[in-house]
Amino acid sequence: MALIDNNGSHELLGADASGQLVIHAPTTAPLRQPPRKSRWPARLDMLQSASGLFLALFLMAHMFFVSSILISHDAFYTVARFFEGAYFLGKPYPILVSGVVSIILAVFIGHAWLAMRKFPAGYRQYRAFVTHKNSLRHGDTSLWWLQIWTGFALFFMATIHLYDMLTQPALIGPYESADRVWTGNMWPLYLMLLFAAELHASVGLYRLAIKWGWFTAATPNRSRRRLRWAKHGISAFFITLGLVTLAAYVDLGRAHAERAGERYVPTYLNAPHTAGKH
Amino acid sequence: MISILRRKNDTQPTRRLCIQVLRHNPADAASVPHLQAFEIAEAEGMTLFIALNEIRATQDPSLQFDFVCRAGICGSCAMLIDGRPGLACRTLTRDLGTTITLAPLPFFELIGDLSVNTGKWMRGTSERLQTWIHSSAQTDLDALEAPMEPELAEAIYELDRCIECGCCIAGCGTAQMREKFVGAVGLNKIARFRLDPRDDRSNDDFYELIGDDDGVFGCMSLLGCHDVCPKQLPLQTQIAYLRRKMAVIGLA
Amino acid sequence: MDVIHTDVLVIGGGLAGLRAALGARKRGQKVIILSLVPPKRSHSAAAQGGMQASLGNTAKGAGDNEDIHFEDTVRGSDWGADQEVARMFVHTAPKAVRELAAWGVPWNRVQAGPRDVIIDSQRVTLTEPEAAHGLITARDFGGTKKWRTCYVSDGTGHAMLYAVSDRTIAEGIPVHERMEAVSLIHDGERCYGAIVRNLISGKLLAYVARATCIATGGFGRIYQSTTNAVINEGIGAAIALETGVVPLANMEAVQFHPTAIFPAGILVTEGCRGDGGLLRDVDGHRFMPDYEPEKKELASRDVVSRRMEAHIRSGKGASNRFGEHLWLDITLLGEAHINGKLREVKEICQHFLGIDPAKQWIPVRPAQHYSMGGIRTDAHGAARGLSGLFACGEAACWDLHGFNRLGGNSVAETVVAGMIVGEAIADFCATPEGDMHVSTALVRDCREQENARFADIATSRGQESASVLMQRMQAIMSEKVGIVRNGDDLTVAVDELKNLLLRSRQIGLRSSAPGANPELTTAWRVQKMLKLALCVAYGALQRSESRGAHFREDYPRRDDAQWLKRTLAFWRDPEQRVPTLEYENLDVRHMELPPGWRG
Ligand SMILES: Cc1cc2nc3c(=O)[nH]c(=O)nc-3n(C[C@H](O)[C@H](O)[C@H](O)COP(=O)(O)OP(=O)(O)OC[C@H]3O[C@@H](n4cnc5c(N)ncnc54)[C@H](O)[C@@H]3O)c2cc1C
Ligand code: HEM
Ligand code: HEM
Ligand code: SF4
Ligand code: F3S
Ligand code: FES
Repeated sequence: MALIDNNGSHELLGADASGQLVIHAPTTAPLRQPPRKSRWPARLDMLQSASGLFLALFLMAHMFFVSSILISHDAFYTVARFFEGAYFLGKPYPILVSGVVSIILAVFIGHAWLAMRKFPAGYRQYRAFVTHKNSLRHGDTSLWWLQIWTGFALFFMATIHLYDMLTQPALIGPYESADRVWTGNMWPLYLMLLFAAELHASVGLYRLAIKWGWFTAATPNRSRRRLRWAKHGISAFFITLGLVTLAAYVDLGRAHAERAGERYVPTYLNAPHTAGKH
Repeated sequence: MISILRRKNDTQPTRRLCIQVLRHNPADAASVPHLQAFEIAEAEGMTLFIALNEIRATQDPSLQFDFVCRAGICGSCAMLIDGRPGLACRTLTRDLGTTITLAPLPFFELIGDLSVNTGKWMRGTSERLQTWIHSSAQTDLDALEAPMEPELAEAIYELDRCIECGCCIAGCGTAQMREKFVGAVGLNKIARFRLDPRDDRSNDDFYELIGDDDGVFGCMSLLGCHDVCPKQLPLQTQIAYLRRKMAVIGLA
Repeated sequence: MDVIHTDVLVIGGGLAGLRAALGARKRGQKVIILSLVPPKRSHSAAAQGGMQASLGNTAKGAGDNEDIHFEDTVRGSDWGADQEVARMFVHTAPKAVRELAAWGVPWNRVQAGPRDVIIDSQRVTLTEPEAAHGLITARDFGGTKKWRTCYVSDGTGHAMLYAVSDRTIAEGIPVHERMEAVSLIHDGERCYGAIVRNLISGKLLAYVARATCIATGGFGRIYQSTTNAVINEGIGAAIALETGVVPLANMEAVQFHPTAIFPAGILVTEGCRGDGGLLRDVDGHRFMPDYEPEKKELASRDVVSRRMEAHIRSGKGASNRFGEHLWLDITLLGEAHINGKLREVKEICQHFLGIDPAKQWIPVRPAQHYSMGGIRTDAHGAARGLSGLFACGEAACWDLHGFNRLGGNSVAETVVAGMIVGEAIADFCATPEGDMHVSTALVRDCREQENARFADIATSRGQESASVLMQRMQAIMSEKVGIVRNGDDLTVAVDELKNLLLRSRQIGLRSSAPGANPELTTAWRVQKMLKLALCVAYGALQRSESRGAHFREDYPRRDDAQWLKRTLAFWRDPEQRVPTLEYENLDVRHMELPPGWRG
């Protein structure tokens, strides 16, 4: 008697002469059979969510730090030096930024690896999903598709950015960053990265809340409506903030293009004696 | 004091409906999947059950489809209606356009035209997930039954209402990609038995059944299941709940 | 030749079949279940209202016991029931409810303390006893003295069927789905199993079994307007009839349910009226109290249906494009109650009528609902005429219901009969009688014969269309063999049905798809269904009295002197055009409750 593999769910069934299914194994077998099921799927799922959450929170904070340029050049300068430990250790250690970048990079890679388990494996699965998505025309299903693609894009774009930050941690500052954005021609990348990262993060956060049942309202549909609002809000806010910030860098970069490469010195340090010293 | 009787459409002319059916008979080696269009006149209160039967009686007697209760309670007639899974018997044509496309539920074994073998898959899932009360207690049928809180009984029924129609599987992108995924129907059943105090199984036992990427951790929260379930089961909350419970096992 | 051997073959995966299979399995028999559809799709799932068992947990059920249940059942049957069976039934029903509870049926429970209910359109406060808190509760159903109907919201049948079906999966009993029993293997004395058609491939197989149990449900589809599922075509009863030796009993006893939505025929549960819903006519007038001052909307089903038809005939029906109907008003129950306890009703109204029953009235008209008649068996399910053949559930007539079944007694019957008949089958298999010597030639002949029948239809050059004949039969049955019957109409009906039976031998097919061609299936079935229709119509024509659901305008009274007997219909010669009717007396001397006023 051949075992039928009907989508994997018929381990216990075989075909009899009629081609119909008959059970062979006693199905009332004791439940907890010795090789206990691995705990890793649970842990990996939690790690995937935790890493995503961490990255998303980081990205939010990061956007605030980066947008400090909107306040003033000095503000951004201060933030940059802050991360280099200048205010606890007496002088800036850019290696500290490299350290932070390494951690982020590690989480990033970890998250990408965990999340990639969910990518369609092979062309057949890819086709199956696309066909399904196109016929169903369903919001949350399409959002997931967006997440796959933005995640995929992040994989390349964010890596470049992180590599930059890892290798040139000292070159973070109003002029340095603006030069990188404009003279270094990074702005197209940043523009795409911005959209990809923000969309990915907000959809990710939304999904996280659904997935674990956080922030529930009286009915599932109501909680979803609420979460969807929150998601739109987060996307809109951070993309706007990012665009304005990027514009500021571009502006500054263009103005500073001729002197590209020059390091920024905060006004409170050089104002008295560096004026006019070029 | 008769309240508004029914929506009156008498003034509107009857529509001609074009019903396109994705046809294929796997028993016939020469058959290739193709769309076939049928034209019929719409009638008042016409459901897809009525329409398809009319087509079979008057136009093509070989058309295959499954209806049993024709009242939306048995789960036989799930199909893709304009691309979305739903119960054909309780879909009124007046809620659809003049061109209606019908296709069999994907994922399940095709029997012919609109008929798929959901029953076989559901039985397999039942066996795999052991969806029955596991109890070592002997019930004395002459003694008073064990009491149960009324709200609890209602909460169990709430999850027991699944009719195994397969819409949630057809509406789930994960299931389309990964054939071993138990789907919302399976997870909901586990949630149902978990809630039932008559079932002795612990969370550890349930972890053995759904604690992997073919089970609850495989669900990517696409929520297609929740949105297409004709019985409006709270699949979204139940899956999230199970995920939390099973994750805790993973930490232990 | 494909032959499958088993100890017990159960034909039918509804509540009755599944429960009987479990009984036999528990005693160590190898069991196979056949079903047209996955078992959980069987029509048992449609039972909304509930299951009767005299638990007496509720305030309105206090003091209830087997005796009262027994009396209600016998009275309801208009003394047509077998009282020995009724006794056994009422005794076993509470056990069955508890067994189901242990298997996971989430019966609704008693909530101690006061609660508001609607009785006779008045809001009444009932106080449920503290001691009963959490026990299985019950609702009111027509024709009962106490509130006795245990329920699960309005998905009772669904919850029961799923629990029992899951139980069979737990026990590892195989269900061969999409398989139709097309004839019984027998030699005129003993049954050896069935010839079965695979509804996917169209192939015929032989299932050889020591004991065979038919649990194929009702045959409502011989009517046009019916609450039954489309698979309730009565093939199980028909193949028993075609053996020539097994009789079908009381086929003329057909129940009509008062509240099927109009015109779709989908049932809205009796629970609607049980919970306080009212029937109204075109003027919005509540008319039932005019006819039945005591029980009003909650009189027996046959009574309510008849009153409704009469009221429509007296010109008081509301009407729409499809014809005349009446209104069911449950708006007074309130939205909360409807959303909670009558949710399926709400869904049905939404999806099939596009109305909200909490705000609007529901158009209803009686429709065929239940077949009291069926394969005649003894009190333990053994079919008359063939040893090794059993029957239970709606397909059988062990005669619990007589000429009218009480609401809620049917799903109760399925599980109770399953318990009793499952045991009887196991007993049978354990005796020497249960041994079997079957000749392979017999099995082969039976199969060849059936093969030839299908081949005949498939290759026939006939001009008749199966679906036309089917529709005609259904129309005749609804028009002339319906709720209110008379000799003239019945004569016309029998003549035309005879004619249809002849024509059905001339059916030609328009299609020839490989696999199980649905047109061939219909053509084959309509021949059987016509025989059932003839049993009903001819039985009704002969029975010149009114009893229970069988109501003759020309003989409006019950006639115990002449008709305290059960009709047995035989089809001994395949060429005969009406069934041979015989009668068996119901012995008044053995009646615990002798015939009296039905109340
Ligand atoms: C709408 C509706 C509501 C109802 N509500 C109630 C209620 O509230 N309370 C109550 O007590 N009763 C109610 N009833 C009646 C009750 O539901 C049925 O009488 C009962 O469920 C019948 O059960 P069964 O097991 O005999 O048959 P079914 O459940 O009909 O099962 C028949 C089985 O036989 C199989 N079968 C049929 N023919 C063949 C064949 N030739 N070969 C193989 N398999 C075959 C089918 O696939 C199916 O599995 C209701 C009935 C209807 C129609
Ligand atoms: C290589 C880059 C990345 C890839 C390939 C990637 C891919 C994915 C995918 C496919 C998912 C969906 C997982 C699922 O549905 O179960 C996901 C979830 C998520 N991602 Fe990413 N991602 C990447 C980077 C990021 C970054 C940079 C952030 C933060 C800004 C982030 C935040 C999240 C969050 C919060 C989730 C939700 C977690 C969950 O559902 O468990 N991801 N990611
Ligand atoms: C620790 C790691 C990181 C550091 C130190 C860092 C630092 C910076 C800095 C200094 C800028 C300003 C422009 C520049 O100097 O080039 C910037 C811009 C940007 N970063 Fe990062 N970044 C980090 C990680 C990430 C990650 C993981 C993402 C997204 C996945 C990201 C997305 C962006 C985007 C989109 C911009 C452009 C912002 C804008 O629109 O103005 N960064 N980052
Ligand atoms: S969960 Fe809903 S959609 Fe899925 S099988 Fe059950 S009823 Fe159908
Ligand atoms: S659609 Fe599928 S991925 Fe999960 S939430 Fe529903 S099962
Ligand atoms: S036929 Fe039963 S749900 Fe549609």
